[in-house]
Amino acid sequence: MKNVTTLSDQIIKSVEELDEERVIKLANKALKSGMDPLFLLNLINEGVKRVGKLYEERKYFIADLIMAGLIFKEVLELEEIKAQFQRKDGEIKGKVVVGTVKGDLHDIGKEIFKGLMEVNGFEVIDLGVDVPEDAFVKSVIKHKPDIVGLSGVLTTAVESMKDVVEALKRARLRDSVKIIVGGSYITEELCEYIGADSFANDASEGVKICSEFIKSECGG
Amino acid sequence: MEDARALQRERIEVYHAIYEDRVPKRVPVNVSLPFEVIAQFGGLDLKEAQWDPSTIEEAVDSMCQRVYSDVCVYMGSFRYPSFYQLLKSRSFKMASNGYIQHAEVAGMDSEDYDYLIENPYDCIVERILPRLYKALDPEEPIRFCLDFAKSFLAYKEDFAASNHIRKKMIDKYGYYPEDLFSENSGFTETPFDFLADQLRGLKGISRDIRRMPDKVAAACEALYPLVLKKGLPSKITKYSQVFLPLHMPPFLREEDFAKLYWPTFKRMLDEYASMGIRCTLFCQHDWTRYLDYLYELPTDTTLWFEYGNPKLVKRKLGKKHVITGFFPIMNLKTKTKEECAEEAKRYIDILAPGGKYIFNFDKNPLLLTDIKLENLCAVTETVRDYAVYTNPGEVSGMIFKKEDYKVPEYRDFESKYFAKAYPELTGLAEWRLKRLDDEMFNYSIFLLL
Repeated sequence: MKNVTTLSDQIIKSVEELDEERVIKLANKALKSGMDPLFLLNLINEGVKRVGKLYEERKYFIADLIMAGLIFKEVLELEEIKAQFQRKDGEIKGKVVVGTVKGDLHDIGKEIFKGLMEVNGFEVIDLGVDVPEDAFVKSVIKHKPDIVGLSGVLTTAVESMKDVVEALKRARLRDSVKIIVGGSYITEELCEYIGADSFANDASEGVKICSEFIKSECGG
Repeated sequence: MEDARALQRERIEVYHAIYEDRVPKRVPVNVSLPFEVIAQFGGLDLKEAQWDPSTIEEAVDSMCQRVYSDVCVYMGSFRYPSFYQLLKSRSFKMASNGYIQHAEVAGMDSEDYDYLIENPYDCIVERILPRLYKALDPEEPIRFCLDFAKSFLAYKEDFAASNHIRKKMIDKYGYYPEDLFSENSGFTETPFDFLADQLRGLKGISRDIRRMPDKVAAACEALYPLVLKKGLPSKITKYSQVFLPLHMPPFLREEDFAKLYWPTFKRMLDEYASMGIRCTLFCQHDWTRYLDYLYELPTDTTLWFEYGNPKLVKRKLGKKHVITGFFPIMNLKTKTKEECAEEAKRYIDILAPGGKYIFNFDKNPLLLTDIKLENLCAVTETVRDYAVYTNPGEVSGMIFKKEDYKVPEYRDFESKYFAKAYPELTGLAEWRLKRLDDEMFNYSIFLLL
């Protein structure tokens, strides 16, 4: 039992330290010795959450969040994980449709947000980049998400974000979802202009807000 | 025309005062608008207009009449579709709204580090450019040559057409004649940003920093002479500027910045300074963590801030460097005309005292919908009329002397694709061929900026 605990701690710690090679080595070792893939993924999640915490404490920065995302992805691609891992519906905290809005081809902010949302128990439907408003509407009809996340690196994204909100209103879907917009330049005034429920200047802030959305939805 | 001449003399005096470390008559208004904003203002179809930059002239002229600035209101563009399309670019793409931008595509694999470190320009020409530009397929050498030549022609034509308009407006409206595209200016990136942006991409570099930091440091050393050369103005004058947009530092831990980013960055600015060239740095995102490093850069570096605390910046850096930026461009969209004008005054009150301040927004608008034009006009006119000094001519902070800067020896690059000399030729013949080598070199590196 002691060995398992030690190995678990080591896995969490090497994710936290962003030591990619060591994480993969330890993950393979753990799987070989019979660790449940779901248990392993929880350990990786815990490590990524600690990276997120270091980011909030301003000890880690964006490059570190990206690295944590890459490690997480790599573990997901291990054969044993791919074969056995399927998230049970019961574990999903909430569903979110994300996309970089029309006119913007940047995906890094959205990718980081998506990665952090997944480790925090959200199911994420990613529509990609340069997404027109009707694609968001269609996706909301199809997937019935709790939240729509609109991303944009360029300031021009503001108009496109507003277009998405307007399109959801026209389709009478606006009140069925919470809308969060993300971009480093977004202010309270711009959020209001767009007609979103909330905004975040970075990905980890966005995850917190989405968790709040779900809490208030469930708890009333 | 005489009015324009007089106005130009005044503007030259204002800018030169700043670069000669004196308090100017008033704060210069350094606002210029990109091609896309002006094309939309003129009611042109953005997707179409970018294919022929000369179509924008009428819209530029009318924008120049509308908006006050001390530099040409028309900035021009680095991104025209002709050459990117001809080369089948994977990284520069036109989005559905016509805006050309850089998607996250890596031109270099981690396995390429050793070759890049050993022979950077060969690695760029043989491996990196072909990965980022599908038309440059080494398996199809004849098509490679023809498409490359065609794209170079397109690049020359588009920049010439745009410069023609810019120069015409500078004459007509008497703007300060120096800017990003004039012959005594240059444009480049720091070695680390150059490596991070299109070579390794944000994901690749984030991984390399943890997995192979020594190779990242060695790659910055190897790229140093290339990006330095790319930035060199074709003519160096007392007022020469090299523009560098800085990307990565806010994304890095300070210890990684200190080890990997700073050494070649600092040396680059010192080397330019030793030639009498000052740099304008666009400090993207929030640089608050790095103010002490910025202080170490050569005197009179122009620091263009996007976010941060202007009071702190003025206090820490204002006597040594020229400060610009901070005013959030997006406020022009959400606030009233009066609020915008008041906000401009607040920035001036903080940043103007003692000189070494140039007015600009925190970033340029990208499309016309980013701003309300009447708010932009209100702000630039407020700055012109409000930011007037009572003590022009007084010494302003620290004084720049190129003799203060020296750089240690470093390894220059050698490449079979770049001739540094033509021993069999002399005089004009040698000068001409060397100039063409430089042009081709600059274009190759430009494709990765």
